Amino acid sequence: MKREKQAALQKKTDLKVYMKRYWQLYALLALPLLYLLIFKYVPMIYIQIAFKKYSIVESVWKLPLAANHGFEYFIKAFQSKDFLLALRNTVGLNLLDLIIGFPAPILFALILNELRFKRFKKVVQTIAYMPHFLSWVIIYGLALQLFAPSTGFINMILNNLGMESVPFLNESHHWVATYAGLGVWQNFGWGSIVYLAAIAGISPELYEAASVDGAGRFKKMWHITLPGIKPTIVVLLVMNLGSILGSNFDRPFALQNKLVMDVANVISTYVYKVGIKGLQFSLTTAVGLFQSVVGVFFLLLANWIARRLGERGIW
Amino acid sequence: MKKKVLSILLAGTMVLSMAACGSDAADPGAGTQTGNSGAGGASDAGATAGGSESTGGAADGELVDGKFAETRSITVEVYDRGNDGGSDPTNNMYTEYIKKGMLDTYNVEVEFVSVPRWTEVEELNNLLAAGTAPDICVTYDYPTIQTYANMGGVLDMAPYIDQYKDVLPNLWNWLGETNLYWDKDPATGTVWGIEAKLATSNRINTFVRQDWLDKLGMKAPTTKQEFYDMLVAFKDNAELLLGDDADKIVPYSVSYDVGWRAATLIESFIDPDISDKEYYINGFDDRKLTQNGTKEAIRLLNKWYNEGLMWNDFALYGSGDSTEDDMMKAGYVGAFSHNWDYPFRGGEDSINATLQEIVGEDAQFVAIDCFEDKNGNYTKFVPGPIDRKIFFPSTNDEPLASMLYLDWISDPAHIEYLQIGDEGVTHNVLEDGAVEIIAAQGDAIQNSGMNIDYTITCNGLRLSDEAKTTASTAHSYANVDPEVVANANTVAQTGLKVGKNVNVGAIAAEEGMGAVLSEKRDIVYDTALSASVDKFDEVWDQAIKDYLGAGGQAIIDERTEKWEATFGDADMLP
Repeated sequence: MKREKQAALQKKTDLKVYMKRYWQLYALLALPLLYLLIFKYVPMIYIQIAFKKYSIVESVWKLPLAANHGFEYFIKAFQSKDFLLALRNTVGLNLLDLIIGFPAPILFALILNELRFKRFKKVVQTIAYMPHFLSWVIIYGLALQLFAPSTGFINMILNNLGMESVPFLNESHHWVATYAGLGVWQNFGWGSIVYLAAIAGISPELYEAASVDGAGRFKKMWHITLPGIKPTIVVLLVMNLGSILGSNFDRPFALQNKLVMDVANVISTYVYKVGIKGLQFSLTTAVGLFQSVVGVFFLLLANWIARRLGERGIW
Repeated sequence: MKKKVLSILLAGTMVLSMAACGSDAADPGAGTQTGNSGAGGASDAGATAGGSESTGGAADGELVDGKFAETRSITVEVYDRGNDGGSDPTNNMYTEYIKKGMLDTYNVEVEFVSVPRWTEVEELNNLLAAGTAPDICVTYDYPTIQTYANMGGVLDMAPYIDQYKDVLPNLWNWLGETNLYWDKDPATGTVWGIEAKLATSNRINTFVRQDWLDKLGMKAPTTKQEFYDMLVAFKDNAELLLGDDADKIVPYSVSYDVGWRAATLIESFIDPDISDKEYYINGFDDRKLTQNGTKEAIRLLNKWYNEGLMWNDFALYGSGDSTEDDMMKAGYVGAFSHNWDYPFRGGEDSINATLQEIVGEDAQFVAIDCFEDKNGNYTKFVPGPIDRKIFFPSTNDEPLASMLYLDWISDPAHIEYLQIGDEGVTHNVLEDGAVEIIAAQGDAIQNSGMNIDYTITCNGLRLSDEAKTTASTAHSYANVDPEVVANANTVAQTGLKVGKNVNVGAIAAEEGMGAVLSEKRDIVYDTALSASVDKFDEVWDQAIKDYLGAGGQAIIDERTEKWEATFGDADMLP
């Protein structure tokens, strides 16, 4: 009993000492915390409109419960063909991104790491980062210039060579490939930074020892570099899996057009069109909540698998 | 240990922030709406309005010599068209004129709030949900008003229209009972919004390059067959017409909004003697997607598309994109259909003016009538004389001042000034008294044609003298040959079938469906138009099925039901 009290007291003084000594750091931390609080936690109060009949003028606490014990909008969503299609597209496009887009930066980092000529390496790296800073609207503009069926640069070349135009943007299957390709192009350079940093942290002695033992380039890559960045890969994979049902808005929205809606409508654009343009706030909040819950589930699952595999996971 | 706690904390915030991300996309601005909770639910809205009616009923009590004793202030929505070289829509010569006029006449301060023209509905939704919408809102989208009215977010204007009638002479004269009560609920008598008036019913015209016709020695087509032959001739003679740019030729151009752009062609396939009932029950979509005949019209376009007579990439460019306009200006487009005055809009930057500059003096688009209906006439289905809808959100606590604003802006003298501006600056007066619009500079530039964005109760030239209006219409486009405009005006007014007001009360199935169904409609049009000829039926039927299943059928059913409840077996309006 006495011991516990003492421990508690110790803790208290610890906190006091810490506060006194590091208050500047805590003050710095307060800003991002405040941001999270205001923009991420306070809006969560409104998650409840997924279960309620929403009205713009009534306080959110006083809204009447929706039909079917509040689950009216969830039922409605899952009966809607559009939502199911958006769900399918979200999972499909994200899986594609994962399969193609996830290994791309790893490969790029490995290749870049093997370059001897340092200045060339820097230049390549910088050029590869650049697309990350372009907004998707700009990228769509570029894509139109390149891929439009009659005025796109690539199709004009194809036409001049006597070939048919490839419907990169205006046919569903091609569109999916274009979508994935542009995603990789935009992100592989930026995504490789974290791997390059991890590679830089591997002890050079390991490589030297391997060389002495007669290991070639690929052997070193396979037995030293890859195992060296494995924890980073796993953490990023876990985080990526967590967002398998999440989707950013601007990429599909900027790239989609009316001809490919069957594959291009994802949950975020569905929510925008039905909820914000169509004023069905309750329905789309229900969709958003569902999306988040499944996201958390995937995150936990992936993390559990990672720990099973002997990695640290993200916690 | 400490590291672990920290990482758990970090992971926790990340997960939660993701959860929040998912949901805050769905309720924009919801965070600010608690402030309005006092306004009450939908059922209270009538009571609120009724309450102010008793105090506001005596307009004379509030006004001293037709003026407020104390200065009131209101906010008014204005569209921002974001045009090149335009002026600030909330602060220019014309807003100053309005502000000064309102202050002098009624002691009311006016402030303008700009809303982007091409995303007006989304922007308005955000403003309404956040409780910061302007006191006087304007939209083309009635369902938005209805949806917010159902939530109690809109004031009932009926009491104000009636009670203040004495102090609103201009509004009553201009809009009249027809437009003021256009949307009056037959059961409850509420008026959630009033309809601005179209001064002209001109809607869609088809334009063709006169100089191309001349070069090929062709006459302007007068039937679909002749139009088709003309397109083929354009394509076959591309080298003669465009030289090195021959491969860029687009004989006939439409955009992703096929239903609007091919409206006259679609209408030519609809039975000109269609019953009011049929036209109404299939009439939710103003692009006439579900009317009988539309499919055949698109089949024809599909044929043209597959013969290479149309713009291949039309569906890839969204609204507001200038690519198609640029092709017209550069001279690659042979014919297109659009708003009746589309190539004349924009003064120096108008399509016709730019075309003449780039291609040559004789290059210009002229209007033609070539889509004949089954009787050989050029029937054009145009809506009733209604335009934008004006409404007051429930956050408007100055209904009288707002009504007075609507009255002031409907005054013929004020409309005239806003439309034609100052002599020598924005217009010249011609010998016959007609007014000719000239390209203005700087602050005097009209951001919208004839300042339609400020004259919110009026769309179309309306000068205080009717004869002057007619004579001036042809001169109302700077840098465009008046004869060409006069011809377009005549064509646009040929064979008008003006829509009637079918008022059977709100259709519940339409609520919140506008945006979703508009997109689905565009999907039907775009995918069917660009399908291969043998797949056309399959693509069209599949897409229509999707449209109907997503709510289109429910609307048709409810419209049928309400029509029958109101008019019984009658097929025509009384």
